[in-house]
Amino acid sequence: MTLMNKIKVNLLACLSLFALSACYDESTVSLDEHSVIYCAEGSPETFNPQLVTSGTTIDATSNQLYDRLLSYQGKENTLTPAIAKAWHVTKNGKKITFYLRKNVAFHQTEYFTPSRFLNADDIIFSFNRILNKNHPFHYVSGGDYPFFQNIEFNSLVEKIEKINDHTVRFHLTHPDNSFLANLATDYAVILSAEYAEQLSKQQRKSNIDTDPIGTGPFKLKEYRIGSFIRYYRHEQYWREPVKIEQLVFDITPSNTGRLTKLLAKECDISAYPIAHNKIGENKSLTLESITALNVGYFGFNIKKPPFDNKLVRQAVSYAINKKVLLDTVYKGKAVLAKSILPNTSWAFDDTIPTHEFNPVLAKSLLNTAGFPQGFTMDLWAMPVQRPYNPNAITMAKLIQADLNDIGIKVNIVSYEWNTFLNRLKLGEHQSFLLGWSADHPDPDNFFSPMLSCSASNTGSNTTFWCNQEYDDIIQKALQTTDLSQRKKFYSQAMKIIEEEIPLIPIAHSKRYQARNKEITGDILAAFGGINFYHIDKNKKTPLSAKSNNAVKVAQPNVGEN
Amino acid sequence: MARDKIYLEEIFPSPFMQLWQVFRKTPSAMAGLSCFIFLIILAVFAPILAPHSPIDGQLDMLLLPPAWHPDGNISYLLGTDELGRDMLSRLMYGTSLTFGLSFIVVITSLIIGVVIGSLSALTTGIKSSFLNHCLDVILSIPSLLLAIIIVAILGPGISNTVWAVVIVLIPQFIHITRYAVKEESRKDYVLASRLDGASPFRILYYSIFPNIVDRVMSQATLAQSAAILDIATLGFLGLGAQIPLPEWGATLANGLDLFYIAPWTVYLPGLAILFAVIVTNLVGEGIRHSLKLRKDK
Amino acid sequence: MLIFTLRRLSLFIFTMLVLTLLSFSLSFLFPGDSIINISGAINATPAQLIEIEKHYHTESNIFWQYITYLHNIVNGELGISMASQSDIATEVLNLLPATIELSLVALFIAMFVGIPLGFIAAIKHNKTTDNIIVSVSMLGYSIPVFWLGILAILTFSINLGWLPSAGQISLLFEIELITGIQFIDILLSDSPYKWQAFSDATAHIILPACVIAVAPATIFIRLARTSMIEVLETSYIRAANAKGLTFRQMIFRHAIRNALIQIIRHVGLQFANLVTIAMVTEVIFSWPGIGRWLIESIYQRDYTAIQSGLLVLSCFIFIVHILTDFIYAALNPLARGNKYGS
Repeated sequence: MTLMNKIKVNLLACLSLFALSACYDESTVSLDEHSVIYCAEGSPETFNPQLVTSGTTIDATSNQLYDRLLSYQGKENTLTPAIAKAWHVTKNGKKITFYLRKNVAFHQTEYFTPSRFLNADDIIFSFNRILNKNHPFHYVSGGDYPFFQNIEFNSLVEKIEKINDHTVRFHLTHPDNSFLANLATDYAVILSAEYAEQLSKQQRKSNIDTDPIGTGPFKLKEYRIGSFIRYYRHEQYWREPVKIEQLVFDITPSNTGRLTKLLAKECDISAYPIAHNKIGENKSLTLESITALNVGYFGFNIKKPPFDNKLVRQAVSYAINKKVLLDTVYKGKAVLAKSILPNTSWAFDDTIPTHEFNPVLAKSLLNTAGFPQGFTMDLWAMPVQRPYNPNAITMAKLIQADLNDIGIKVNIVSYEWNTFLNRLKLGEHQSFLLGWSADHPDPDNFFSPMLSCSASNTGSNTTFWCNQEYDDIIQKALQTTDLSQRKKFYSQAMKIIEEEIPLIPIAHSKRYQARNKEITGDILAAFGGINFYHIDKNKKTPLSAKSNNAVKVAQPNVGEN
Repeated sequence: MARDKIYLEEIFPSPFMQLWQVFRKTPSAMAGLSCFIFLIILAVFAPILAPHSPIDGQLDMLLLPPAWHPDGNISYLLGTDELGRDMLSRLMYGTSLTFGLSFIVVITSLIIGVVIGSLSALTTGIKSSFLNHCLDVILSIPSLLLAIIIVAILGPGISNTVWAVVIVLIPQFIHITRYAVKEESRKDYVLASRLDGASPFRILYYSIFPNIVDRVMSQATLAQSAAILDIATLGFLGLGAQIPLPEWGATLANGLDLFYIAPWTVYLPGLAILFAVIVTNLVGEGIRHSLKLRKDK
Repeated sequence: MLIFTLRRLSLFIFTMLVLTLLSFSLSFLFPGDSIINISGAINATPAQLIEIEKHYHTESNIFWQYITYLHNIVNGELGISMASQSDIATEVLNLLPATIELSLVALFIAMFVGIPLGFIAAIKHNKTTDNIIVSVSMLGYSIPVFWLGILAILTFSINLGWLPSAGQISLLFEIELITGIQFIDILLSDSPYKWQAFSDATAHIILPACVIAVAPATIFIRLARTSMIEVLETSYIRAANAKGLTFRQMIFRHAIRNALIQIIRHVGLQFANLVTIAMVTEVIFSWPGIGRWLIESIYQRDYTAIQSGLLVLSCFIFIVHILTDFIYAALNPLARGNKYGS
């Protein structure tokens, strides 16, 4: 009888409890030594970054599973070769040729064994899937490629030409300053054409996005939805293979849950930690942060009254005490945002005016706008922690109190994260708290996707603000190569935002991460997703500590190959 | 002029009064009852008694520890939460939500349950058998699970939680009333009044009800402690009271994110729930104890 | 016994009909299109939708639709989850064993702790030991389980560092899902780290199982105490006493056995209660069971998952209920005459 079996199992379990302390022998240590557990804040929607803009998905997939043609390197964020070992741009900026590496191997997994190295076909497959509506894989997984739609990739790229097996050429319709930068983002990953062919034959096309094959440092072993992702090291990686064997994403949406696991040593690294002081007190943990390129803001739906009135938007802007928001929500660890562009960007202009906290002026603006009695509004607050806003619900409650003082009653609305984003796209909201994290260091990555007219059509600009003058300026900036001229254009754009106030910029925040001190190597990046390529785990034995130092020195060289 | 009694009447206290005679002699039960009354007063007068607003916070008083802590402030006796809201006031308002609502819930389901239960006790045959089957099915599903099911259908929110718990508790009252009424109907005194020609409803009202009140009350205390725990658990899971409401379970869930920096935001609501449930159980134990003593006599 | 079996069988069929009917009607009660609610095909193209409608026979009358629904359930088709678009039947089959495992371990802890304590309290009736046990048990069933779980994590995982705080097993161990019951899967696996995995899984289950066991244990204490007191007052115990048996012999040979039978009757009901407590505890200990999955489905308004999850969970509870009834009837011939088990 099964019941008896269970009793036996149970008894065994009890017995083994006594042996527990003795069980920590060598083999466990070795398993533990070569594995890293990362406590992630959410599940990825898919394993293909081309299909999404969500930071959680990018973190889990892009840098781990895939490579791009180019990547960023160093503090200056200069473009460096990745899969393309070199590239060439013609003088008119309309033809770009990439020369590919010859020794780039795809993952070998239970579901796919590659027969060849990466070649031009893979590059053409990866981009044609996005560009060509008749491509057999275009409509697999819905046919939406939001990042590429926002930058109008389709109208930019005329065609992609295969010169030979290891050379491809992109033909552009017009020169574009951010094209190479866009190819280096986390979205422009290279998939395997051979794998796609195998899947077409097996009639399982949609597996290309759920059982991924890439060239990145890790390969997918197992994914259990909402629970964990298990990655193994890619042994034939074209750079030096990673130093750990196993990387596990432990999906823990609860903030306290992640901290508990970190404190109980059940995960080595935790995304978006809370209670920074508590982590500081613990000697075996460190808290690290990076000044990320992002902005958290309070946006209005200018299609809906009363926010179609500029004066009302200005009044609200003057009524909010941003200092309190920074102290309470960001615990004083963020920079007050003057405009949407972070002050660390080269295009930032310190002279642009900002709205200081001034409830009296706000009240009078509200009177001029014709709302002396105030009004009632809905404020949508995101349910999750993001780098640009650690706690939108708390922020909403504070804004509620501020606006109450000038006679505006605020209802706080919140939905589950994916529902929240979908409903925002449909324009059901009146005002909302959201933010933007940059995908690449070019300033255009703030101006176009956040506030341009085309972004308001694709639903990535949820203020639905569309200003022709602003659009013209940012288009001009994109086509200018002279940096000081570009900076002037962006200054003008920021002045328009300040005057029109489609959104109130609130803060530029750091991105935080906590880790066990045994883990070495950089993970966070100023923009884009996290990267586990450089990590290693040191057990605190004196012998291995020595070899670690050697490893640390060696690391920067690895990336420069 | 006072009228003298001609016959020496033996005064029989009602079953309820008999119960009370025993009950008042049990110290733990009396302690429980006084705390129970205290909670009811708190639930009714929370808006008058609470020193601060439970919803609006003081932004310069964030995460203050309770007053006995060196960093505490005496005007915020139990500290504040992440928005500077006074914990004491939140707990006091929470009394009317968690404890007060559960009290109302129990009264409502008691009335509905007793009415249906006594009516069904009068039925026999296939109807009775069908009802028995249904009751068996419903009673075999735990109350919290049933409440979760109902909230899943109605959608999260405090009013839906209240309805869910009412619906969950009704079958228990039906069951106990039905059983008690059937048992009493077999007794001679009921037969006597039936032979007198009293209608079934009259028998029910004048003869049976006074004799089953104590058992229903005992069930009511069980139901009350289950209701408090159910409302708090649903609040904790985010399926009950929504964000600004200071319901104890929801307050505890809200404090969970602050657990490691402000542990009192988790300890205090938990203690409040524990206190309310223990108090209710003490009263219930007292009633059951007295019932047993009375029977033994 | 035959009549008893037939009676239980009729009750079982009746209940299953009621439960499936309820679950079927849920797809109409939930907001949105009933066909999407029942199938979960939220992203279906119009052509696919027609296909699905055909499959569920929406064009015929409601009775026929219900029959189709029953047919699908019997074939293990519960639709796909609206949130993750994965097959619900497979998900449930992966998750339910984890909950069963946790609940069974908790049930054994509750019984092994609760019943002896109850017996001790009964034997020392109205003495200090009895009073202490009764007061502690009152505390035990008054404490909210989610709070207890948090306190347990703080004490045993963070402050003392003895036991892990979350999950079924450390994610480093790769254990293939075969039966879904972790301990059996570990024993079946050919991993070189088998025994480490086993002790790791044991360490993981202790804390949540103990937290779940607290409330049922107090109920077992009360049941055991009442039933033992009753048994001690019976005439056969007095007879045994008169025969000159020692107190110890009397308790172990006669009293315990008879008192236990009364308790077994309640195990089924307690197990149902325990599964509910387990649902809440799973959320706190991130246990990958059906309770956590169901509560998350409620957050996400994943109606297909809620509907099927509820059906599976309530069927499971009811089956356990009937099974314990059978065990009780097998052990105690007197019970077979009873019309209603509970």
